[in-house]
Amino acid sequence: MYVVKVGGKVVDKNLGNVVESVSRFARTSPLVFIHGGGNVVTEFCRRVGVEPKFVTSPEGIRSRYTDKDELEVYVMVMAGKLNKEIVSSLVSKGVKCVGISGADGPTLIAERKKRIVIVDERGRKRVIDGGFTGKVVEVRVDLLKTLLSLGYTVVIAPIAIDSEGTMLNVDADQVAFKVASALKADKLVILTDVPGVLIDGTVVKEVKVGEVEGIVSKVGAGMNRKLIEASNAVVSGVGEVIISSGLVEDPLTNALSGNGTVVRG
Amino acid sequence: MMLKCPICGGSVEVPDDALPGELVDHDCGVTLEVVNDGGTIKLRPLEGVREDWGE
Repeated sequence: MYVVKVGGKVVDKNLGNVVESVSRFARTSPLVFIHGGGNVVTEFCRRVGVEPKFVTSPEGIRSRYTDKDELEVYVMVMAGKLNKEIVSSLVSKGVKCVGISGADGPTLIAERKKRIVIVDERGRKRVIDGGFTGKVVEVRVDLLKTLLSLGYTVVIAPIAIDSEGTMLNVDADQVAFKVASALKADKLVILTDVPGVLIDGTVVKEVKVGEVEGIVSKVGAGMNRKLIEASNAVVSGVGEVIISSGLVEDPLTNALSGNGTVVRG
Repeated sequence: MMLKCPICGGSVEVPDDALPGELVDHDCGVTLEVVNDGGTIKLRPLEGVREDWGE
């Protein structure tokens, strides 16, 4: 079984080819497809007069700051427009397909981040209210397994729900790693805007779980988190994690043909 | 301005224009948060912060 995650930059630049590529595998294999799409959310925020906000973590990672107004747009775009466009595109290619958010079922349970640390416009570290973002703490696989057993490909929008029934913006990478671990997927493929884990400009072909700790300091912010979570996923029972380019013509075939970085035990 | 570390009692230098929520790493190893307590600027240990994983 495959779990495939496509990041927001790839959604912007190459979603058609990604969906075409995914459809080839989804017609014959159980597959869960997780999508980002932050730039589309940003565009729609502006269209409805909600100015998008971003914060920078002390590690230098720029993230969306989701307040109540932005959460409404986030849910409309992620679970609505984007998710259903992907579903309808897969259906048009002959794939039995269902699109859900993590609030359906529910499937993704998260804890709301009460406060987060940012670097403010003066370059100083500050702690602020966490807004409507969360950390996934549990994946309930009942709905996923039911749909997969009926032959459906499942497309998941990165929205989770907390214990009070509040929907939360959750990181799509994190969703992918947690879902793949919960389902003990054979392969988790992370399609990004780079060809793999790069060290000194060269793609690292393979990383063993035991090597991750020694490598994370040599790769950029963002990719280091992917590596750590990939390692955790493999330890949790995922066969292997492939980090590869989503910007090529047939990204999934490309990734499964050995192009990119494979993390395995 | 100089404030007192609530953990070790040592002096902590805080910028005069520090805002509530601003963080200061003190020599004793604790991260302190600037708070406005009824008009008085104080420091307290940073608590309740989660790893940032936003979209």
